[in-house]
Amino acid sequence: MISSSVEYRKKELPSKVQTIGLGLLLVGLLIVVLGYLVNPERSAYNNIIGLTFLISIAVGSLFFVTIEFLSGAVWSTPFRRVGEFLSSTVWVLPLLFIPLLLNVNTIFHWTHPAPADKTLIDKAPYLNVNFFIVRVIVFWLIWLLFYYLIIKNSRKQDQTRDQYLTKKNIKLSAIFMPLFALTISFTAIDWLMSIEPHWFSTIFGVYYFSGTILAALAVGAIFIVLLNERGFFVKGIHTDSYYSLGALIFAFTNFWAYIAFSQFLLIWYANLPEETFWFLARWEGNWKFFSVGLIVVHFLVPYIGLLSQPSKMNPKRLIFMSGWILFAHYYDLYWLVMPNFFKDGIPLSWIELGFPLLIAGLMILVFYYQAKKNNLVPIGDPKLKRGIDFRL
Amino acid sequence: MMSEKILYSYTGIFDTPDEVTHAAEEAVKQGYTKYDVNTPYPLHGMNKAMKLPASKLGYVALIFGLSGTLGALLSLWWVSAIDYPLVIGGKPFFSFPAYIPVIFEVTVLSAAIATVLAMLFFFFKLPNNAHPLHATDYMKKVSNDKYGIVIQAEDPIFDEASVRKFLESVHAKDINAVYWAEEEITHKHKIFEPKFLTFLLVVVILTSGTTYFTLNKLMFMLPFNWMMEQQKQNPQQKSLVFADGFGMRKPVEGTIARGFLPYAFKGQPDLAGEKLINPIPISKESLQLGQTKFDIYCSPCHGYQGEGNSRLRGQYPNPPSLHSEKVRTWSDGRIFAVLTDGQNVMPSYSTQLSVDERWAVINYVRALQRALNAKESDLQ
Amino acid sequence: MSTIDYTRELSVLEGKHALRELDDLIAKPLETKPDKKFYIALAITLSMTGLFVLGLALTFYYGIGMWGNNIPVAWAFDIVNFVFWVGIGHAGTLISAILFLFRQKWRTGIARFAEGMTVFAVMTAGLFPLIHVGRPWLAGYLFPYPNQHSVWVNFTSPLLWDVFAVSTYLTVSLIFWYVGLIPDLATLRERTNHKIKKVVYSIFSLGWRFSNRHWHHYEMVYLILAGFATPLVLSVHTIVSFDFAVSVIPGWHTTIFPPYFVAGAVFSGFAMVQNVLIMIRKIFNYEHIITVDTLEKMNKIMLLTGSMVGYAYAMEFFIAWYSGVEAERFAFLNRAMGPYAWAYWIMVTCNVVSPQLFWFKKIRRTIPVMFVIAIFVNIGMWLERFVIIVTSLSRDFLPSSWAYYKPTLVDGMILIGSFGFFFTWILLFTKALPVVSMAEVKAVVDGAQPSHKEH
Repeated sequence: MISSSVEYRKKELPSKVQTIGLGLLLVGLLIVVLGYLVNPERSAYNNIIGLTFLISIAVGSLFFVTIEFLSGAVWSTPFRRVGEFLSSTVWVLPLLFIPLLLNVNTIFHWTHPAPADKTLIDKAPYLNVNFFIVRVIVFWLIWLLFYYLIIKNSRKQDQTRDQYLTKKNIKLSAIFMPLFALTISFTAIDWLMSIEPHWFSTIFGVYYFSGTILAALAVGAIFIVLLNERGFFVKGIHTDSYYSLGALIFAFTNFWAYIAFSQFLLIWYANLPEETFWFLARWEGNWKFFSVGLIVVHFLVPYIGLLSQPSKMNPKRLIFMSGWILFAHYYDLYWLVMPNFFKDGIPLSWIELGFPLLIAGLMILVFYYQAKKNNLVPIGDPKLKRGIDFRL
Repeated sequence: MMSEKILYSYTGIFDTPDEVTHAAEEAVKQGYTKYDVNTPYPLHGMNKAMKLPASKLGYVALIFGLSGTLGALLSLWWVSAIDYPLVIGGKPFFSFPAYIPVIFEVTVLSAAIATVLAMLFFFFKLPNNAHPLHATDYMKKVSNDKYGIVIQAEDPIFDEASVRKFLESVHAKDINAVYWAEEEITHKHKIFEPKFLTFLLVVVILTSGTTYFTLNKLMFMLPFNWMMEQQKQNPQQKSLVFADGFGMRKPVEGTIARGFLPYAFKGQPDLAGEKLINPIPISKESLQLGQTKFDIYCSPCHGYQGEGNSRLRGQYPNPPSLHSEKVRTWSDGRIFAVLTDGQNVMPSYSTQLSVDERWAVINYVRALQRALNAKESDLQ
Repeated sequence: MSTIDYTRELSVLEGKHALRELDDLIAKPLETKPDKKFYIALAITLSMTGLFVLGLALTFYYGIGMWGNNIPVAWAFDIVNFVFWVGIGHAGTLISAILFLFRQKWRTGIARFAEGMTVFAVMTAGLFPLIHVGRPWLAGYLFPYPNQHSVWVNFTSPLLWDVFAVSTYLTVSLIFWYVGLIPDLATLRERTNHKIKKVVYSIFSLGWRFSNRHWHHYEMVYLILAGFATPLVLSVHTIVSFDFAVSVIPGWHTTIFPPYFVAGAVFSGFAMVQNVLIMIRKIFNYEHIITVDTLEKMNKIMLLTGSMVGYAYAMEFFIAWYSGVEAERFAFLNRAMGPYAWAYWIMVTCNVVSPQLFWFKKIRRTIPVMFVIAIFVNIGMWLERFVIIVTSLSRDFLPSSWAYYKPTLVDGMILIGSFGFFFTWILLFTKALPVVSMAEVKAVVDGAQPSHKEH
């Protein structure tokens, strides 16, 4: 059987999607701008959360695409374009990091260490503004390069149906893997860990990575299930493919819990003051409830929600849990960032709403335009037929 | 002896997985319920063909896993917070994060063992080497590279002719009848067989013998006893070093123990009552300490309330009440003298109670006296 | 290499096989008398085991003073060997459980053997904590039971977590292995005409009948066991890493230890599986069952886990500097430049550099080269535990107590002996049980499953 036997007729996304995306984007933008006018510092912290959240989705989706090439998985091939479209949000990352780079001095206190703070002066070779900006831009360029190379091959295959392109992408993906590990870890250290520059944890990069993959999988799952239920992909895709998606989300939920627990237990147990203060800051005032809530939101609810085999195949459950996990990832990032700003507790306000709306709008719009220009199914991919026929 | 063989089933053999799947679907259509398919390895789609409901073993795993979690959590809590609370590494008695590893392991262990045991013994009713299908040609084939179908005689619509016809209709080969072997029906396993009883007896003797030998003999032999037989002086043992042969030595003349204060009023209780002043202010802590010590050392004779109601049932003379006018008007120092020196048949308690503890007991006795002789003004 | 056709699934086995032939091939070592080579190999491993017994006898009689351990290096070969052997076991569970969950069919040829290795490796590892306490007959107190002292064990101690983790791991691995063996034992029962063998196989196969009503539950239980074994295998090496990481010793207390130890364990385990499989497939003519494709995939996993380990080494170094804590910085500089620098650099070469050769397809598919690399990885991973344990302890917070640890002859005897013990079990296993799962391999032969036509 050759892949050309797959029947695919391109269906346009309804223009309603564009309206929704644009609406969310504009409302989000308005709140962000107002927020920056009212309380620039608070908005900057929210901006970090928004940036790292979008990196999670953009780079995480790219990771998801490359992992499919590397592992030779077939069930995800019919859906691979979703990952590709979402990873094109890499292009809009500067929108979120440029305002931050202009504001580095207000967010990071390592930019102007107190003269008595020997530790911070010691760290200056790594934590200095110039090198920081260089890192941010270099990482972005690396992501952009691999996004460009891999996606170009994938698009070309729609016309040429050349198997060699798959092989080429497998090679690119293999090279991307170590670069991905390094860039994501150091992104986590730069944007999230260095807000509290005295604190350190070797597992922190892995911690952010686990959330990244979850968020990327969750966004992907929402688009995949919504579009597949409405017949935007090809015919004949079985719920067993949903099962694989649900099982991956479930597995990474456990992985996140494992990493988070390891980090907490080791610091709690050893009880060294240079490490525990970071957790203690998250135990002040009502942060305590927020911290306990993280366990419930990020682990218990998705764990119970996706434990049974049928629940991983149920489209409605899958969409709900994916939405929930996106919320959980935002919650997690909020928990990482905000205790540095609000020392005694969280006063929630409308400013917090700006970035989630902005990002949701961005994602939907980017997806809409990508879907307009390209096929929603990689029709030239040699693994496509096997992916459609996939059964457990 | 029975001569007539009892029919167990009819069997048929197939060469390809497609044929056997088809046969299973047909068997369902015919309405057979007591039938089975035997394949050397699980065939995809066979459960669907046989219309088998989803396995319930997941629930076994869930239930036993959860009971493992709960059981481990409760026992850890009871052991570490209730039965034997011990401060370790400055952590609270009930250190939940530190229990997660053990709780997790117990969960996995109980769920895994329970699921497998439930499958083998309750779902499959194994071990069963006496099944009529064993030692048949059919079993030889389906264990290797053929696929077979069995239609049992217990089936409500079983009828030899029609079953044979059905098997032929699905193109089964080697259609055979399988019978119960005679000894499988007639043989009875008796618990009180002499062989079995002898076996039990041998096991009992061997186990108890080994246990006795290990715990009472082996552990006192080389090298297991090397920690018991150490070259050191044990209490009450004769010494070979000192000329007088005493292993326990007195401290050097003039040695003073840490925290030791000389008592200047030995044999002069009245003087002590005049001169000694209670240095311990009344506080909740001192009263609690006093109560603890009073309950341990004083209450056996004086009673918990100090009323002289001894719990010794006349084996030792009952002391007078501590609420008498005399004792109430004594100064703290005077009572201290009693505790330190003893009085009448009461011995000295200076070795059991430190100086501070004695004062704390006195504070507590004062509280008892006040409680049993409350004044009008106390009510306000 | 010809180009791969991505439209078709690669078949697990090479060439076409009749099911009967596969049974014959797999059961052959059990049905023929062992040859001379087997006895020579057994003689070697048994003499090594003899060395083990001798080393242990000396240790138990005279005490652990026979070893090189001394303050401040209170843990040395005993714990290094423990961590090493537990790690070796992890590959088996990874192959049998995690790859099962990921539906990687190429695992079928190697799963049984790797599971067997898990059991033997964990058995070997389980001896070391007992050896390490010096008076193993008192180890019963490690179990929480209401005893005559009315004292309970310390549940907050990672050493006690080890007791639970390792014993659970051994039990669950054994169960998993046995459940997989039942159908094969039944096949062997049907094949044999030998009277005693028939009785033994009948007892252990429990009267398995290949009934689909059984397969139905059996597959469910296999899935459940795989689902439990996966987090279990992660937890075991995680808990082993806690032995070190909950302390405050620089070089031990690092939050990345749990995933890093797990990756390292899988890495070394795969190397060991690779080494032994290469020999097995040659000796028993299993080249078509354990194909070069399978070995290549194992090499890819070694490349992945080796790079993860390399990431962890690098991250530890970076964060040690970044932390600004003097003791941390010293501990890591001491590793790379202190008295044990030789061990550190051999470790880095073996663990991080040598698997990078697997980037080249040619090397991934050349058997002698991968055999050598796998041996390097084993050496490197053993040294990794040595580096972590000994270098961190030998230069602690108090410079006056610094010392250089040297193993003694007895240490060496126990180390070599543990290999003998492990390989004796492996050799006996290859002659006593099918080292490849008959039922699973038959199920992935082309044409062994119904074709999904419409019905």
